Amino acid sequence: MTEKSPLPPKDAELFSTVCQFCIVGCGYKVYKWPEGQDGDATPEGNAFGLDFTKQQPAFGTWVPSLAHSIITQSDGRYNIAIIPDDDALVNSGMASVRGAGLAASLYRPDGPTKSRLSTPMVRTSAGAKAANWDEATELGGRVIKAVMDHWGADAVGMKFFDHGGGGGGFENNWAVGRFFFEGIQTQSVSIHNRPAYNSEIHAASDAGIAPLTNAYLDAQLADTIVIVGANPYETQTNYFLNHMIKNLSGESISSKENFLSNEEFDSGRMIIIDPRRTMTVATAEAAAGYENILHLQLEPGSDLWLLNAIARVIYDRNWHDIGFIQNRTEVQTWEAYQRSTLMSGQSSEEFLNEASIKSGIEIPDIIKAAEWIAKPKASRIARRTLFHYEKGLIWGYKNYENIASIVDLALMTGNLGKPGTGCSRLGGHQEAYVRPKSNTGRPARNIDEALRRGDIKVFWVAGCNPVQTTLHANAISETLRERGRIVSEALKNSLHMPVSEQVAAIIEALKQGGIFLIGQDIYPTATTDLAHIVLPAATWGEINMTSINGERRLRLYQKFMEPPGNAISDWKIMARFARALHKLYSADENPEMANRFLDFDWTDDQAVFIDARHSFSGNYDDPMEGFAGVDYKILHGLGINGIQTPTRLINGALTGTERLFEDRPFSTPSGKARFIPAPPPWKGYAAKVEKQRNNHRFWINNGRSNHIWQTAYHHKHLTYYNERAPIPYLEIHARDAEELGIFSGDLVEVYNQVGSVQAMAYLAGSVKQGHCFMLFGQPRGAIGKLILDHVDPDTTIPWYKGVWADVRRIGQSPDLSKNISFKPTNFAG
Amino acid sequence: MKNIKPRDRPNRRQILTMGAVSGIAVSLGSEAESSALSQSATMPKIEIARLEDLALGTEINFYFPDEDSPAVLLVLDEQVQDGIGPGQNIVAFSSLCTHKGCQVNYYEEHKMLICPCHWSSFDPAKKGRIIIGQASSGLPQITLAIENGSVHATGISGLIYGRQTNVI
Repeated sequence: MTEKSPLPPKDAELFSTVCQFCIVGCGYKVYKWPEGQDGDATPEGNAFGLDFTKQQPAFGTWVPSLAHSIITQSDGRYNIAIIPDDDALVNSGMASVRGAGLAASLYRPDGPTKSRLSTPMVRTSAGAKAANWDEATELGGRVIKAVMDHWGADAVGMKFFDHGGGGGGFENNWAVGRFFFEGIQTQSVSIHNRPAYNSEIHAASDAGIAPLTNAYLDAQLADTIVIVGANPYETQTNYFLNHMIKNLSGESISSKENFLSNEEFDSGRMIIIDPRRTMTVATAEAAAGYENILHLQLEPGSDLWLLNAIARVIYDRNWHDIGFIQNRTEVQTWEAYQRSTLMSGQSSEEFLNEASIKSGIEIPDIIKAAEWIAKPKASRIARRTLFHYEKGLIWGYKNYENIASIVDLALMTGNLGKPGTGCSRLGGHQEAYVRPKSNTGRPARNIDEALRRGDIKVFWVAGCNPVQTTLHANAISETLRERGRIVSEALKNSLHMPVSEQVAAIIEALKQGGIFLIGQDIYPTATTDLAHIVLPAATWGEINMTSINGERRLRLYQKFMEPPGNAISDWKIMARFARALHKLYSADENPEMANRFLDFDWTDDQAVFIDARHSFSGNYDDPMEGFAGVDYKILHGLGINGIQTPTRLINGALTGTERLFEDRPFSTPSGKARFIPAPPPWKGYAAKVEKQRNNHRFWINNGRSNHIWQTAYHHKHLTYYNERAPIPYLEIHARDAEELGIFSGDLVEVYNQVGSVQAMAYLAGSVKQGHCFMLFGQPRGAIGKLILDHVDPDTTIPWYKGVWADVRRIGQSPDLSKNISFKPTNFAG
Repeated sequence: MKNIKPRDRPNRRQILTMGAVSGIAVSLGSEAESSALSQSATMPKIEIARLEDLALGTEINFYFPDEDSPAVLLVLDEQVQDGIGPGQNIVAFSSLCTHKGCQVNYYEEHKMLICPCHWSSFDPAKKGRIIIGQASSGLPQITLAIENGSVHATGISGLIYGRQTNVI
């Protein structure tokens, strides 16, 4: 067999970019050269300057097959090679399995990504028909205006991306925010992964603490890293491998010598709070030694109990940082926290016993965790502990109190604003939130409920797929299908009429209970398949964009190719609709409404970035995303390491923020952080959750995996990724599987009173008996179909992890399973 | 202040020289032979072992197609895809992890090949496919043939880490 890796020639174009996938934001180099003009193997003949007549060393440079693609542009065909950037501090030349395939995910009309949306479409009950942008905008704009005029702005609903990385970015987010919050002014808004427009961590913001506080360097400096409800080996890969593991293995000792000169230190320890024994646990143990990793395999919904119990031990032993509490926090909130959360009036023994029973964690392990977090060093200097949390805590039972409990732990131990400390989300996607202020209230409106009630007449969905991924997804699917059918029929009957008559017919259909659905995305999805107007968006690599990663590192992601067909960037789509509405309201001689849609005349990507920049003042009032003083030219000059936000202009000099809250005040009026007293600890599940738990045998934990990014929108098209999980896998304990006659590779049904999905059984030592773990968001079996519509009443955040169901064997699935290994995914040797 | 040595984790230099040799080491032989292979740019054929010496559980480290390319032959306890021999259970793979080029080790307990650098793991019973990890391809599989009672390496399916072509 002939195997050959194409090499870029010396004169290949070189672009700098950042991975489009996870929050870590690894740096990459993009080489582009015309087809048929490959470089050769000699150092003089290729852009790497390397001698490929010889074996390259470990950690060297090469172009694996997924790192190369051939694209087609208006002026011909080009090779693209995308390889990790050695100069990037984030990843030091390493790729995750997702980033390694960036080139493979590019659009190519003759390749696996050919199904990208490339032209606007109008869909009637007779089928979809290609349209041009003017037609699609005219129809959509007129329907939106008519709905606002008939029912008010809140009858226009939306569910949009709000993130950085692929498909997002500050530019697109700003345009979306301008359109909906300044233009439409609707409160019927929601964020891509949840039924409302709300923070996922209200408790942290109430405490005055931003979501992303630390630098990645801090993971190399910490004495202890605490990971709650996250699996960073698989889903924040190079933060884990290039920073945390260096600490656990002792490789970062030299960094500690540089930064921590007046205290003793050792290789780092890690506490992992996760019901599963994941690859993160296995690899951390391999790097640090079993004795330096504490894995607390808690029961579902008990995070709050466990974290508060650890805090109680710290409190009882006077390991809290009273100096920090007095100087950096509002002391009256500390007093309230002692009473309400630490229950200082209750005996410690009673508190710990109850927490141990609820969480399933033995008291000695709770005490050990407290010691590793806060027991002062021999010199009496406080330990440096870095707290990280993600969806296991955020999407756990009682979102608000869960987040409060970890924020309070960080505050009481003084672990903010110093090297080796922090309290941050680990993150999913990258961040790039910049929008005019929304007025969605708190708790925010539940849009899924508003859709089911019929309150929303136009629903615009972009960059997400709620038909499969929202909670109680079958209900939303059914709602959009049934209500949408009424409009589809009206559209079919009016298709050849003038647009004004078409809109009149649609409005009549809406009065009959219909809904007009606009779907904006890069691929067809279960949601765009129901949409009456489908809008094709450009994505990563096809536009210039900016985002920040998990340590707020802002960089420019350069455009290096054209989008498919007539696809355009999201900000251009929003601008088109805004201009259409401005024109329609101007024709109505309604200047007040017309003026809401003024100033959408950006000329290029940077113009939107600069417009958004006006949101920031460059002082301590800016949020963590603040990029005052930054433009594309500056970012281009800063290269792959960019600058960490929020930025400030100090005596005219642009200054970044390595870690938050060193000199920066906390985000409260007093500038001091607040403890968030949690209500008395959890006494039980909500009634409908308790009923589900009692009626079904297994807890179906769920989440992301190493190989599949989010809903697999790219990866389902790429064989290497798709064949690892062609349908969602269900990790199940061997003894449970034996009782049910299930073997690895079998097709199983997972079902409860909410719905049913199919999955592939994977007998695994990662889960306890009675627990399962299912891949989240896989389009051939989305967990959303099993999830109750229960949300935290304080925050409208769902308990996506709170699913109980039964499992039954359907049969073998040899075609699906033949290429899948069922060896352990949590064994590191 | 305590002076700490990094915990035992292979460094890059060690990785390139270490070998998990639990069986028989086989090399291509002289520098002259290797050089001749490079110049000819054709896939060589080498003898790895006599079939009669390959008991269940055997692991043989060898080099193929040249001395810069470590590989491993395994005799598994089940019939596998592309296995050869009477039990169709003899397979061989490049030992260089396709993530960053560290040399994988074989773990008999789970019959997995695992990279010591970032723990990508590969299943020899499934043509070297990835189990979990950051590698963006499976391990290149060495094509084996039995001739005159001996197992020979005759080709490679997949690109060896760090190369433009398998034969250099």
